[in-house]
Amino acid sequence: MTQDLQETIRRAQRGDRDAFSLLVEQHYAAMFSFACRYCGDRQDAQDVTQQACIKLARAIEQFRFESAFSTWLYRLVINCARDWHKAQRSRGCGERGGELDDVPTHDNAESAVMLRQVIALVERMGEGFRESLVLVLGEGLTHAEAAAILEVKESTVSWRLHEIRKRLNAGLNAELQPGVGV
Amino acid sequence: MNDRELENLFARLDDAPNVDAKERALTAALQAFDAVQHEKNSANASQGFAAASRLTSERPSFGRKIMQRLTTRNSTQRWLYSGMASAAVLVLGVFVALQLPQYSGVEVPTEVASVVRMTDLAVPAERRIDTMVRGVGSDAVREKKAEIAENASVAQLSADESEVDMPAAVAAAAAPAALQRSFALEQGIVFANRLGGIAADAIAPPGYQDVGRDKFETAAANPIKRTSEEPVSTFSIDVDTASYSFARRQLNAGALPQKAAVRLEEMVNYFPYDYPLPPDTSQPFSTNVTVLDSPWKAGNKLVHIGIQGYEVTGAQPRANIVFLLDVSGSMDSPDKLPLVKQSVSLLLDRLQPQDTVAIVVYAGAAGTVLEPTQVKDKQKILAALNRLQAGGATAGGKGIQLAYQLAESQFIEDGVNRIVLATDGDFNVGIYDTEELKGFVERKRESGVFLSVLGFGQGNYHDALMQTLAQNGNGVAAYIDTLGEAQKVLVDEATSALFPIAKDVKIQVEFNPATVSEYRLLGYETRMLAEEDFNSDTVDAGDIGAGHSVTAIYEITPAGSDSGAFAGSRYAEAPVSAGKSDEYGYLKLRYKLPQESKSRLISQPIGMHTQATPDMLREAQFATAVAGFAQLLEGGKYLAGWGFADALELAQANRGDDPYGYRAEFIQLIRKAQVAGAM
Repeated sequence: MTQDLQETIRRAQRGDRDAFSLLVEQHYAAMFSFACRYCGDRQDAQDVTQQACIKLARAIEQFRFESAFSTWLYRLVINCARDWHKAQRSRGCGERGGELDDVPTHDNAESAVMLRQVIALVERMGEGFRESLVLVLGEGLTHAEAAAILEVKESTVSWRLHEIRKRLNAGLNAELQPGVGV
Repeated sequence: MNDRELENLFARLDDAPNVDAKERALTAALQAFDAVQHEKNSANASQGFAAASRLTSERPSFGRKIMQRLTTRNSTQRWLYSGMASAAVLVLGVFVALQLPQYSGVEVPTEVASVVRMTDLAVPAERRIDTMVRGVGSDAVREKKAEIAENASVAQLSADESEVDMPAAVAAAAAPAALQRSFALEQGIVFANRLGGIAADAIAPPGYQDVGRDKFETAAANPIKRTSEEPVSTFSIDVDTASYSFARRQLNAGALPQKAAVRLEEMVNYFPYDYPLPPDTSQPFSTNVTVLDSPWKAGNKLVHIGIQGYEVTGAQPRANIVFLLDVSGSMDSPDKLPLVKQSVSLLLDRLQPQDTVAIVVYAGAAGTVLEPTQVKDKQKILAALNRLQAGGATAGGKGIQLAYQLAESQFIEDGVNRIVLATDGDFNVGIYDTEELKGFVERKRESGVFLSVLGFGQGNYHDALMQTLAQNGNGVAAYIDTLGEAQKVLVDEATSALFPIAKDVKIQVEFNPATVSEYRLLGYETRMLAEEDFNSDTVDAGDIGAGHSVTAIYEITPAGSDSGAFAGSRYAEAPVSAGKSDEYGYLKLRYKLPQESKSRLISQPIGMHTQATPDMLREAQFATAVAGFAQLLEGGKYLAGWGFADALELAQANRGDDPYGYRAEFIQLIRKAQVAGAM
């Protein structure tokens, strides 16, 4: 962690509004990018990121410099995303299926739909699988880094990814055609 | 699909943030941040409330815009705004001076002004003005508040910019306007402080007061029944008294209570009656039946059933009490939280030194204010009690679960384990659904922890819910409107509220068709049971506490009397006398001892010619007066012209000893109803 970042966090923890504002400015892009990969949907990701930013206002005080700030932020976003999806489900609307925003290119649209299908599938494998997938393959983190964020053993992350590969390769390619609802 | 393909899927995702969305998130986050900071400054640490996260707005607030404009270093504008700041504070000063003439000559302490750094001034001023506005509670001032607060922060800003770090006397030479501003602000502070002090002393805290949201459930009066069709009547006893005190409050305010708020049995049972005590403790109570003429319908008779529980003699059972207190913002009224505090401290006097008391509060969040503490540490309990303040948001906590947890942790076998819930009606105790709450309390009852409910205040009183909870929690629902009522419920009758001597007490009367043609039960509408429930030990019913007396009244039409409501039937055969022609009916009573789950039965005939003692007759007459009064408040459907004046006469003639003055008060209440009814 750079000296600057540490100083900014400490100032924000003391109630410095500008420091907090700077913190959000600096990390919004990273949070949003991760939320996109986690949700597979820009609109959801925007909402989740906004929730995470709001949560940060209260949670920043609890950051103890025991882990990297980015690790801590990943946890925050994951928690917000889980809460968000829980709330969505209890409101009766499932995760966004087909409609797309921001008019992406045709190529992108296909891969986005594909990704959502993969995510939906992995989500149903159990708790922690989706997070492991997004952190390792989406964010390019090592198994150890992902394990630190999820607060599990490194072997657990490796095992989860192994299971995910098995599941995706077990003749499911046929199911995962663009446009086929999962 | 392999890892590379998956990575590609992720990589091809468009994850560039949208500028607008980012701006929105930032604004929302900053608002939340401000809220957190504000909360940190003003939160009551001992209760630890958490405010709900604020709604997010897409536009920056007006205040922020002004701040931005000011930082543009447009000097004309700056002076304009700082001028406005001083003007506004002066306006406030004048307003305050006019409001409080005795303080119009307040001198400004210049030595203070010269020491205080100007940069420090604005913020306290803003906060104090805020406090003052809250203290005064006038709408006009409240409107001014926003303006002043804004201007105060503007003044701070300009003070910051001029970087005044020296005594005001020096600053005066350089910036006369700034000095003037500082005086104006200082003056504002002085006024605000004085006013704050005065407001705290003289003006009752205004508090938030709901109006007209009291909730009652209407239960139609029990109808007249033909003995030939339905000879058996079954109900559960009811020892609540909430209805009477609620009606009293309304009447004292000069209004008749709403009909749904009147429950006859609760009004009748409010009064202690001088029934004979049971001869020994083998049977927890005595049953007394008195038959007298109906005052409102010639020919009809009233059958009084009076039950008197024994008094606790010797050692009082040990008690483990958890107070679950509502401290939400709506409790901030002199007749609510302060009364709750007084009531609790009254009850402490009735407990023994080794009994334990704990306090759980709920509002924004639930919290244990006092871990279970023995009553001998009374100072500690009182200190915890006095720290309580009404305030906090709406979101519920785990209040009721927490209270049960504490009660269970201190569970006393063979003792009294009870939660006393005090609230003005907001039941955000952690379980929202009424049915679920009911079920929860019911399950917990099986574990031996009972629940009593004390209602406070007016305007948002959820009567039905409180009844339900107390009924399901084997407890008493009482409504406390004055300290006198608190004294009655928690001191004079503390033993009956705290120590049950019998539970699931049910009454069943079988009328004799040969001697009674019609009957009607007065009150107990919400307590009716099916005939078969009487013998079922799984059906819950009311409980009797030590020293409690319970009264039930039937109005009957003897066979052959023409005072009945129904016309005779042409076809039905005249009932055949079963050889018991000197009995009106047969009274059966089932109860369980507190630790038992199998019920016991008491029964006795209701004789036609049994002579009542003068004492019993007097008590029955007084109960009749109360029952008549309650019916009048409900509309007097069966009273045929019998009015308040008759009730007054009957009550006055049968006042008896009346050691606590409850009956005298009742007589006053009839007079008030007369006046209120005429309006």
